[in-house]
Amino acid sequence: MTVALFISVFLIAACGLIYELIAGTLASYLLGDSVFEFSTIIGCYLFAMGAGSFLSKYLVRGLVARFVSIELMVAVVGGFSSSALFLAFAYTQGFRLILYLVVLAVGILVGLEIPLLMRILKDRFQFRDLVARVLTFDYLGALGASILFPVLLVPKLGLVRSAMLFGLMNAGVALWSTWLFQEQIGRIRSLRASCIVVVLALCTGMAYAERISSAADNSLYADDVIFSRNTRYQRIVLTKWKDDLRLFLNSHLQFSSRDEYRYHEALVHPGLASLPGARHVLVLGGGDGLAVREILKYPAVESITLVDLDPEMTRLFSTHPVLSGLNGHSLTQPRVHVINADAFPWLDSNEEMFDFVVVDFPDPTSYALGKLYTTAFYRLLGRHLRRGGLAVVQSTSPLFARQSYWCIADTLKEAGLKTWPYHVYVPSFGEWGFMLAGFEDFKLPQALPSGLRFLSMQNVGEMFVFPNDMLPVAAEPNRLNNQVLVHYYERDWKDIVH
Amino acid sequence: MNRRAFLSAGLVGLTLKAERKIEGGFVNEAFILGHHIRDGASFPQPQRQVRTPVVIIGGGIGGLSAAWWLQRNGFRDFALLEMERQPGGNARWGENDITAYPWAAHYVPVPDAGVELVRELFRELGVLDENGRWNERYLCFEPQERLFLHGRWQEDIEPHIGLTAKDREQFRAFEARMAEFRASGDFTIPIARGSKPSDLDRISVSDWLDHNRFDSPYLRWYLDYACRDDYGALARNTSAWAGVHYFASRAPDDKGPLTWPEGNGWIARRLIAKLASYIQTGQAVFRVTRAGSKYRVLTIAADGSAGVEYLADFVIFAAPTFLAHYVIEGAPPATGFVYSPWFTANLRLDRLPRELEGAEPAWDNVDYDSLSLGYVNATHMSVASYREQTVWTWYYSLAEFTPEQARRYLLAHDWAFFERRILDDLERVHPDIRACVSRIDIMRMGHAMVRPSVGFQFGDDRARWLKPLGRVYFANSDLSGISIFEEAQYRGVEAAKAVLQGMGAVHR
Repeated sequence: MTVALFISVFLIAACGLIYELIAGTLASYLLGDSVFEFSTIIGCYLFAMGAGSFLSKYLVRGLVARFVSIELMVAVVGGFSSSALFLAFAYTQGFRLILYLVVLAVGILVGLEIPLLMRILKDRFQFRDLVARVLTFDYLGALGASILFPVLLVPKLGLVRSAMLFGLMNAGVALWSTWLFQEQIGRIRSLRASCIVVVLALCTGMAYAERISSAADNSLYADDVIFSRNTRYQRIVLTKWKDDLRLFLNSHLQFSSRDEYRYHEALVHPGLASLPGARHVLVLGGGDGLAVREILKYPAVESITLVDLDPEMTRLFSTHPVLSGLNGHSLTQPRVHVINADAFPWLDSNEEMFDFVVVDFPDPTSYALGKLYTTAFYRLLGRHLRRGGLAVVQSTSPLFARQSYWCIADTLKEAGLKTWPYHVYVPSFGEWGFMLAGFEDFKLPQALPSGLRFLSMQNVGEMFVFPNDMLPVAAEPNRLNNQVLVHYYERDWKDIVH
Repeated sequence: MNRRAFLSAGLVGLTLKAERKIEGGFVNEAFILGHHIRDGASFPQPQRQVRTPVVIIGGGIGGLSAAWWLQRNGFRDFALLEMERQPGGNARWGENDITAYPWAAHYVPVPDAGVELVRELFRELGVLDENGRWNERYLCFEPQERLFLHGRWQEDIEPHIGLTAKDREQFRAFEARMAEFRASGDFTIPIARGSKPSDLDRISVSDWLDHNRFDSPYLRWYLDYACRDDYGALARNTSAWAGVHYFASRAPDDKGPLTWPEGNGWIARRLIAKLASYIQTGQAVFRVTRAGSKYRVLTIAADGSAGVEYLADFVIFAAPTFLAHYVIEGAPPATGFVYSPWFTANLRLDRLPRELEGAEPAWDNVDYDSLSLGYVNATHMSVASYREQTVWTWYYSLAEFTPEQARRYLLAHDWAFFERRILDDLERVHPDIRACVSRIDIMRMGHAMVRPSVGFQFGDDRARWLKPLGRVYFANSDLSGISIFEEAQYRGVEAAKAVLQGMGAVHR
């Protein structure tokens, strides 16, 4: 009996501290300044506990029933605190207000617990012993919680489930107390029923923790999320603000519908318009169909093969009314063949030759993507170019990632290709770079398709001129056995975004 | 970490441990027949006689290389006998619907100009082109190695996290010493090409570290790991000469090593394809006796049925040298030869485990706090950007036991015991590993590789076997005192050269 009582003290102390830690962690992460957030939350919480202790003197009768109800309230408010806060951050403007309200509420309730419990127990123990033991277990619980939190809870369970788990413990203590103090309570049945309701609610919450995650996602993008899906390969998110559609893959911006024409016209036309005889075109990456839309402006092109890893991506851009409108229904045109495959092995096992190849992969942010920018890949690419053919490579920003950009040029040269670097300004991206590559010579196009919004015979040549701050810098070629580009890229961008 | 990553990490948390049944068993178990031969059991007498000038016993890299050399030199009248169903020895491999994978040796360091035979073979196999360029598909892709240290992954196996200035200074000093040894030219591959006797062989790696006041725990770990990995022995059981040889014998100009999904099995399977018409598998040689001017080589089939009697002028014995005493009439015991036992496991992963903090998954992945040697990812050399499934080869050299203890340990436990042992080991660095693995095959090797014990390299025990026993030539890598591809190939080719020379003499 005595042991059971002090285990309760230990548990409620641990729960109390966990809610405080969760609020602090969440706030310091979502709002940034961790010193400020932790200090104010601890202060606020301790103050609320003081207030709770003070208020405890107004509770006079039915102490055990009150204690059980308070436990249940802590279970609900504390248990759902982190999910409520995540959702508040996602859906409301008043995250900070709600944060401090939650902290105050949990603090007051937790502040009530110990004084009430001591009063319940005061007739069973000598006062001297009671204070000593209750406080001992109180502090031990705090120690346990503070060690458990960073070591086990955050990494294994996550914040949402951790809070719910400890909510369950509070509810458990409540339920247990209805037995421990059986003779001291009246309406025992209704109390037990409420306990069970709370336990069930928290269990349901734990089961649905993942849904809360996706609901909270909305908040992480500046604009409204109109579509988001985790495919086998990536997370696709589409946002819309007024008439601006933006596509994010794994939270990297792929295009903004306001200025993507600049990017895609610059990607396709300087090369393709210079090859009036081009019949067969290959697009690697580019599952959004926007590069294909530009290629379809050449009636002489007989076939366009698009190879993109993710079938969800190409399906979305073939069938979604808004998105397929954006690419002019390019992916469903008879000249276009969509293949869902991993580009490097696909090219490795394929013997087709192409007049023009568009290489439009995501930036080399990982070793897996870095493979697609290596001498080995470009040698293979070269073996699929017809005589006089050209390839164009999306090559990241020559301004923000200058060494990465010129590393791609050196890698293409190392693979035996000639290169013609050029760049364009895309407002949503900034200054962006491409690289034409081939075995023979490249001459600027004599004509461009009609109806282009950005490119003209006047400005196409200007793109090949580099201002001083984007001129070549030394770089080592990127090989499968060194992957220097991934390191260059990481270093280049680290200097810009912190 | 960005907000999204934090959110998903924080929100989703741990998926419950699924109680899935993991399949698997022991594979390539030939030791029972081997032990019968050792114990002199009686076998059915061969019913068939084959006359052939040369018999090669053992189809590991030594035996295959001997055969390769004979064939290259236009000699086609020989037989290679392998007791297992699959030749390759320590370069054996396996394959499933995901990938091919190695059973033991899984790489060859880029050979520098001094290792001409290996370059010769690699030119023939298209690894090295006519312009002297290595095929970039075979040079180990980045990231090569990572080490789990102080709760996170770092790139490289040489420890970086948590080192004091003194530790770093000792690493620098150690590397400087190795550079001096390298510059001396006394540590060559093949060893017989020019390595000079040295007092280093009289002390252990640990002694050498003590004498040179290298006491950094990280450096000591690193050396101990290197000895366990390369020689299956702890630093205190490894000759300092062999320890230095590992660091001082190579100066390649390309960043290697050379590796393939099935490890050195890639080389073995190409040699086997070239030599298929000479190779007899499932033929265990249990006796070699003199028969006048010839040798009688008796075999037993792996299924226990009667084998073949070969009558040969020359025998190349490429099986581990300690077996000679049990098989060849008049061969003395191979005293001084110590063999490290190993066990390796191939794990089929139906999905990739979640990653803990730090460096990305690499080819070779090592846990600082484990006695295992970590695991090698068989799909690392794939050019695909995206993979959901893979095979890991997990290595454990049992170096903390004596070889005898280790062999007893290997025989004393069932598959389920080792399954637990492996998963417990991996769980430290991949908490959800049990939910990813669907199959574990385990290979136990009681005598996996010769151990460069103190004094072995320049002592008499080894030297005795470099000379033929009559016209029986020995060709196992253990004659070099270290078990590496280059030495195995060298020994095989040397034996083949001696036989060709001897045959010239006979025929004249």
